Amino acid sequence: MGMFSESVDVVCNPAGQPLNLQWAGRHYTVCAEPVRWYERRQWWAEERRAPLGSGPGLVDHEIWRVQVQADPRSAGPRDAGEPLTLDLSRHVGSGRWRLLRIHDALRPQTA
Amino acid sequence: MSFSHLHVSTAFSAHYGVAWPDELAQVAAADGATALACTDRDGLYGTIKHLKACMEAGIDPIVGVDLAVFDDDGDHRTQLAGRVVVLARGHNNGAGYRALCRLVSDAHARTSGKAGGAVPVAVTRAELASRTLDPKTLKPVLTVLIGPDSDVGRAMSGRRYLRPRTLFKSWLDAMPPRTLVAEVVSQLTAPGAPLSTAHAVRMLKLAEEHHVPAVLTNAVRYCAEDGAATADVLDSARTLKSLSELAAEPLLQPNGQAWLKSSAQMLQLGKEIIRAAGYGAADLKQLMSQTEALADFCRIDPVTDMGWKQPVVPEASVIGISQDPHDELVQRCEAGISRRFPGISGSAHKDMRSRLEHELGIIRNLGFSSYFLTVAEVSRMIMDMGVRAAARGSGASSLVNYLIDVSQVDPLQHDLIFERFLSRDRATLPDIDIDVESAERHNVYRRIFDRFGSERVTLMSMQNGYRARGAVRDAGMALGMDDDDVGEIAKQLWRFSARKFREALVEKPELREFAGRVEQRDFAENQQLDLLVDLTERLDRLPRHISMHPCGVILGDATLLDRTPVQPSGLGLPMSQFDKHDMDPMGMLKLDVLGVRMQSAMAFAVREVIRIHPSKAEVVAAGAHPAGPDGTGPDYIAENGHIDLNAVPLDDEPTYELIRSTHTLGCFQIESPGQRELIGKLAPREFNDLIIDISLFRPGPMKSDMVRPFLEHRHGFAPEVYPHPDLKPVLQETHGVTVFHEQILKTFHVMTGCGLARADEFRRALGNEVHELKVEEFFRKEARVKGCTPEVVDKVWGTLQAFGSFGFCKAHGAAFAVPTYQSAWLKTHHPEAFLAGLWEHDPGMYPKRLLVAEARRLGIPILPLDINRSQAEYRVERVADGPDAGKLGIRLSLNGIYGLSGTELKRIVAGQPYDSLADLRARSRLSKPSIKRLAQLGAFDSLHRESGGAANRADLVQHLQQLQAAGGTRKGIDIMDGQLSLPLGDVELRNVKPGLPAPTLVENVRAELDLMAIDVSGHLMDSHRPMLDRLGVTTADKLLSLRNGTEVLVAGVRIATQTPPMRGGRRVVFISIDDGTGCVDSVFFHEAQEQAGLLLFGTRLLLIRGTTRRTGPRGISLSASMAWDLSRVESLPFAADRVESTDVPHPLDGISRSLAITGMGG
Repeated sequence: MGMFSESVDVVCNPAGQPLNLQWAGRHYTVCAEPVRWYERRQWWAEERRAPLGSGPGLVDHEIWRVQVQADPRSAGPRDAGEPLTLDLSRHVGSGRWRLLRIHDALRPQTA
Repeated sequence: MSFSHLHVSTAFSAHYGVAWPDELAQVAAADGATALACTDRDGLYGTIKHLKACMEAGIDPIVGVDLAVFDDDGDHRTQLAGRVVVLARGHNNGAGYRALCRLVSDAHARTSGKAGGAVPVAVTRAELASRTLDPKTLKPVLTVLIGPDSDVGRAMSGRRYLRPRTLFKSWLDAMPPRTLVAEVVSQLTAPGAPLSTAHAVRMLKLAEEHHVPAVLTNAVRYCAEDGAATADVLDSARTLKSLSELAAEPLLQPNGQAWLKSSAQMLQLGKEIIRAAGYGAADLKQLMSQTEALADFCRIDPVTDMGWKQPVVPEASVIGISQDPHDELVQRCEAGISRRFPGISGSAHKDMRSRLEHELGIIRNLGFSSYFLTVAEVSRMIMDMGVRAAARGSGASSLVNYLIDVSQVDPLQHDLIFERFLSRDRATLPDIDIDVESAERHNVYRRIFDRFGSERVTLMSMQNGYRARGAVRDAGMALGMDDDDVGEIAKQLWRFSARKFREALVEKPELREFAGRVEQRDFAENQQLDLLVDLTERLDRLPRHISMHPCGVILGDATLLDRTPVQPSGLGLPMSQFDKHDMDPMGMLKLDVLGVRMQSAMAFAVREVIRIHPSKAEVVAAGAHPAGPDGTGPDYIAENGHIDLNAVPLDDEPTYELIRSTHTLGCFQIESPGQRELIGKLAPREFNDLIIDISLFRPGPMKSDMVRPFLEHRHGFAPEVYPHPDLKPVLQETHGVTVFHEQILKTFHVMTGCGLARADEFRRALGNEVHELKVEEFFRKEARVKGCTPEVVDKVWGTLQAFGSFGFCKAHGAAFAVPTYQSAWLKTHHPEAFLAGLWEHDPGMYPKRLLVAEARRLGIPILPLDINRSQAEYRVERVADGPDAGKLGIRLSLNGIYGLSGTELKRIVAGQPYDSLADLRARSRLSKPSIKRLAQLGAFDSLHRESGGAANRADLVQHLQQLQAAGGTRKGIDIMDGQLSLPLGDVELRNVKPGLPAPTLVENVRAELDLMAIDVSGHLMDSHRPMLDRLGVTTADKLLSLRNGTEVLVAGVRIATQTPPMRGGRRVVFISIDDGTGCVDSVFFHEAQEQAGLLLFGTRLLLIRGTTRRTGPRGISLSASMAWDLSRVESLPFAADRVESTDVPHPLDGISRSLAITGMGG
């Protein structure tokens, strides 16, 4: 699923916790304490190589569940004010961030 | 703050752990840890390696085990309730370690020792509870960690509140106080999943509620993040499911966080758990300090707790000694002198005496007298069983061993040096290896258990690691690849380490096709192939399972089972979880009792000689033996015809003639193509030449080009050169070339006056980067002091350095040369009995069928299978009629026929002779398919002839086939009425309807190959002969008459494939083929390997083009340039204008038993 997700720019504090992010041309600020875990990847289907010494990030990626609020200046009229819950993944090797899932009030949907 | 990891699996947790003990210890120490645990699954497999690694890294070892526990409420034999970690407490004089050993043995006690047994490795909670307290002091000596994989931990998923509490309560009720802790683990999985922080919090709170200490671990499976992918592949190999299947279940580890995290990372984890629990800083401190407190309890002192490096031998009383063991040893040596050296006197006596005193002095100083007596006791016991036994290895260097009958080689005669075996400076128990008849090995083991008591004996185990073929198969399975595809690839992997797979793809011609497929980056399959290479490399060398070591038996005193855990072996006898590398550290006395098939084959041959020639006179006549002292034959032949092989003098000229002829097929150690070539060049004249030959045919000498100069000097092509006149006595026997370890020791001693014991230390240091420099410094200084010129010093040091680590121990060579000589002697004088022995015990490197060719070459008739004459073993038989009447032939055995069961075999032999098929059915109760197979092999031909029937073998087979089809395969008496016990001859056989054409030779040979893996009626190449003639192929028997360098084509069936190490490190492939007239040994150098590609290892029938190379007066081989697969007729190099038919029937068509026929596994 990682291959179909969207790229996101995330700014973190020194401990590695996301503070704010830029997604689809808008700024969002994290408004509640995020939750972090590590989730397995289907690396044997997604990767071409897995040599000894590949280092971290082959088997799992870091997931952050964040609640964000759109920045009022960049927010459109549609979603102003409503906090969003997003699952972001950070590739441990490259440090790249991607958006995995958007949760709305009823059910999560895949990005 | 430092953190101690208390739950760590090493690679010795087979198919689970990834990291080696020394990596783990080094990484832990580098991070500032002062202690590290090793808690392998199901056993203490990695414990001793862990001890060593920790000592080297300067940290304290902690030892434990990760064990499954039986469900108290379920079926006690099969149902499990999770796993727990059990740690031994330390600094209690081994009480903790002892309890741990016994507990692990308990866990295995009910298993069968065979793969796939129904009973899992596990303990009951009652066993666990009873082992946690020391039986003497009743103090706690084990600590049980209840963690995420325990029944309690597993009950935490879902939102059940009560269940984990009930389960935890029952642990508290079952276990003695202060033996239980809660293990808190978070591997940062998704919230609420197993191994998540939320679960860790629940465990922490549960511990708090019940006032049980909680400790933090990371349930480590690998050293660093990178190991996670390897762990995935191991999970797949363990469960025999592909990664995709496992991921779906989901049974894979939830993520890749189970590595040996640093102290800082563990503290961070602790913080996250404490914060999630809503606790404060004091609670964090408590969690971390309880972890360290438990670590402190469990620090092990390798010496006082585990007896590190303290040799333990059986109690003197057990070997029947009441006096001081050393006095006993001295007395036994004295008694040996008159037996081994009758009438010795003068300077020989003086030399022998001073040698004996020297050896006994060293043995006494080391306190090893009981050890020698123990070995002597085992050796005596084996000989009393009437089993052939011979000591091997450096033990043959000891005069004491010779005098107390442990070894059969006189060390004085062969100039063997005791220090190579044992010296003041070597405090480890030396190795003494005893070769016994392979067929008697298990009986010998059982007798040792009986003799010393099962509390003092256990078999040693060995670790079986992944090699290239197994690794590629398991990697392929993990990726979900097709079995056959992976099998095809695995077939081409020939003796290289899995870790070099990618490198090999570039270099090895037989992998070229596969490499091409990996290269093509356009197809989806190639992603898989690329991964396949990477995963194969990851699996390299990782332990897969332990098995019984082929020869190691551990002997100890009554405390042995307190020092090693044991588990059942496939043999039923207990097996230690420790391997050979653990023996020395644990002070364990290991005896190598090796089953040698050649010893069985020779014992068999000697028995056959007596059976056929039951008196001394007949044996002397049959074997053309010398007349002996009194004219009635030599003393080594007893009146009943028994030959005492060990007493046969080592100077029999006809035996050396046979060896020089290079027709040494079947002879111990000298039958391989490479050895036949060397033997041809070396042309041995005496026993010492055999010792030299065997010592030269080793990787070291072959690699470092010692062989060519040796042969040149030996045959006088080049003058012998000695770097210094003082070295002439040392090097003379090998014409100035350093071959033996003994010569290296003496060279050191001659050049520096260092003494032989130090010389052996120096020898061991050669090749070691650090120590070798110091040795060199010492050598140069002392040799200069003794007045050697710098040139001489340079030259001698160069030799020592180059050959020192390669040379061979002469004592080994001498011990090996004895059975070599004995087997050649038997082949020379009693070839029929010897061949029968070879057939029966199959000791050689070649497929059995090659012995048929050898019998043909020797003119020994092979007598076909016969229901009344064949026995359960190969037999020598005098031929009654026909052209070979009067000759001795070999009757084929009923044993080893495909599909014929052991009990059927026994019943056939018990009921012989039979007068009809009905009689056979009635009394042997053979199954119908077995009867049909016997008919196909011609076992009823003589019965059939006697019955006077007009039909042939094909008719009979068809008749039996019809009966089989009509009545199923039920055994027993369901035959035509009226035949039982009527002496009418065989009505059934007489009445078989004739009509079918008799089976062709090809059909008969195919049946033989299919059912017995040998071709007796004709050679399997015979049917190719017309085609080979058209190709202009030269047969093996004609090669010797050709000039050196003649280009020829040869063809035959593969019988041996070898890739011996070679000078310069470039691989050379030896392929031997058999064409019915003899063997052709061909060598494929680099170019030819490129040409042959896939054919190198994948083909049974080969056509080879090459040029002849003369290897000696009687030896010739082929330097190959190209090879073809004979079964692919369209590819063969026929003259251009000829059109060849491609449907030549061949006996191998449709037969898949490659290994037995060609010596190549499929």
